[in-house]
Amino acid sequence: MKLLFQQIIKTLILGSLVLAASASRATAQDSSRLRLTSLDALAGKASETVDVNIDERLMHVAASALTSDDDSKEIKKLINGIKGIYVKSFEFEHENEYSAADVEDIRAQLRLPGWSKLVNVTSKKEGNVEVYVLFNGDTVGGLTILSTEPKELTVVNIVGPVDLQKLAEFEGQFGIPDLGLESPKPKTKKED
Amino acid sequence: MRTRNVPTIGVLIIAVICASYASGAKSDDFGSVVKMIEQFYHVKHQGIPFLARAGMKAATTAARIKGGTARRLAEAGSIKLAVFEDQQFNSAGRLTQFRSSLNAALVGSWSPLVQTLSATDGTQTYIFLRDATDKFHVLVVTIEPQDATVVQVTLSPRNLALLLKDPDGIGREITDEATTVDPD
Repeated sequence: MKLLFQQIIKTLILGSLVLAASASRATAQDSSRLRLTSLDALAGKASETVDVNIDERLMHVAASALTSDDDSKEIKKLINGIKGIYVKSFEFEHENEYSAADVEDIRAQLRLPGWSKLVNVTSKKEGNVEVYVLFNGDTVGGLTILSTEPKELTVVNIVGPVDLQKLAEFEGQFGIPDLGLESPKPKTKKED
Repeated sequence: MRTRNVPTIGVLIIAVICASYASGAKSDDFGSVVKMIEQFYHVKHQGIPFLARAGMKAATTAARIKGGTARRLAEAGSIKLAVFEDQQFNSAGRLTQFRSSLNAALVGSWSPLVQTLSATDGTQTYIFLRDATDKFHVLVVTIEPQDATVVQVTLSPRNLALLLKDPDGIGREITDEATTVDPD
């Protein structure tokens, strides 16, 4: 009887640990999905607007359907485990048609615990390209690219594990614009 | 016994009628979008028979889309098409208003995949998706200053994956494919 009781306790503890681990993974995943709706108002001022939403179900379809040729195999590897890709991009006719306040809601989310700015990412394009990564332990749980130019604003939010060395390969695919990214080195700096 | 069953049967009949009405309404989102464009821009669409008579775009072969062997994206017989040719789509200052109306009309049943608006040249492209068990319905709305097309097709998961990989390019191909008539 005592043995059975110990067995039940062990099972309960193990079950709780598994639940806690999956809940923590789910939380990391949820927090890697940014709210981008605050940018929607910019569509009224922009000369060009692009809005892309590829959710988890669609990523899963893409990952399981792309299998036949070598090209698809590479892409399948690239998107393996990714839970969503969300892009908002705006081009303006004149400079200063959007302000820092318009991007503040995005930046506020990127200041939350877990997000780190990669300081060693460079872009061939002019303007300021910032890459933020949400670490889930040692692995990347999500990524956000914030590209701010005087006449252009782009936010790319990738939910799920991203191979940082292959980050540039996403450009021009899945609705992600060409941001001229160059593969980062592993060094990171924690944002204040 | 028989009398007691009457209300139950009545309720069942009403439920079936309501369900079929609801699914009918859902399946006619294509028609609602066409109507919405007509009302918003005060234009009229032309159906496929009109296009065939006029011979519009009929000379373009599917092979020319990719410059080689034609790749069929849409499942056979799945294409619904409405075309607006040589009409005025005045979108100046109203791009976001149209976008909101379109999104509101399709919210719940369709998911927006890509939406591109250009105030510069007045073009708009919208791609919406809807799950259809093992396939996907795709609705592509393209509006230019003088033309517009609304295309609904059914895609296999493989072709949906291609669409996700290159939403702009494949979205254009879906529209091209729907408005192209094979010469044979």
